[in-house]
Amino acid sequence: MAFAWKAAGLTYNRYLAVAARVVRRSLKEEPRLQAERRGEMDLRFAKWQNGKQGDNKNLAEANASARVDGAEHGQQ
Amino acid sequence: MSSLRLARATARLRPLPVRLPAQRRNYAEAVSDKIKLTLALPHQSIYKSTDVVQVNIPAESGEMGVLANHVPSIEQLKPGLVQIGEESSGSKQFFLSGGFAIVQPGSLLSINAVEGFPLEDFSPEAVRSQIAEAQKIVGGGGSEQDIAEAKIELEVLESLQASLK
Repeated sequence: MAFAWKAAGLTYNRYLAVAARVVRRSLKEEPRLQAERRGEMDLRFAKWQNGKQGDNKNLAEANASARVDGAEHGQQ
Repeated sequence: MSSLRLARATARLRPLPVRLPAQRRNYAEAVSDKIKLTLALPHQSIYKSTDVVQVNIPAESGEMGVLANHVPSIEQLKPGLVQIGEESSGSKQFFLSGGFAIVQPGSLLSINAVEGFPLEDFSPEAVRSQIAEAQKIVGGGGSEQDIAEAKIELEVLESLQASLK
């Protein structure tokens, strides 16, 4: 099976995350406020090189730019 | 489905072997026409090995109904409505955001999804406004990723809107 999102360079994991996010946003006010907490993620990472810690980066932003790069270079 | 029921009904009409009047139901007989359903989300188990009669699932390969003794299979789910026919309390419906359904030998069915809610938890207005937003993005000049994500959202929302009607 060929999926349109796969052709655009999205992974299945990303597809599931997008689908789950839109389901949470479609809920009525009360369950939505409860559910949307699950969609929040704030992870940071730093790459260590030659014994020194690099810059702190936001994982979600780094992932997003990696996706764009990957698609531009026809990877994935 | 109805032909199946018919087949079962005619099977029952055949003369039964002579039985003792006070014979107890044995185990195999008691579970033979039920399927053990586990419907699990990362944060919650909606069903945990519960006996149900039938489950209708929206597989990528098409809508399918799972009864007891279904052939073992693994199905990827579309975002859509799962209908669960329970023994006593009628049928229940949950909208799942997508995941997998696994039918194992011995009438075991596991459904795994990221999000799943009963239909009454959804707001038709929220669905409608999000469809309009997603359509704007699909028609706009965003990046390929943005358009692909908006298309995923549209697929989910349209399925949800059809389920809500």
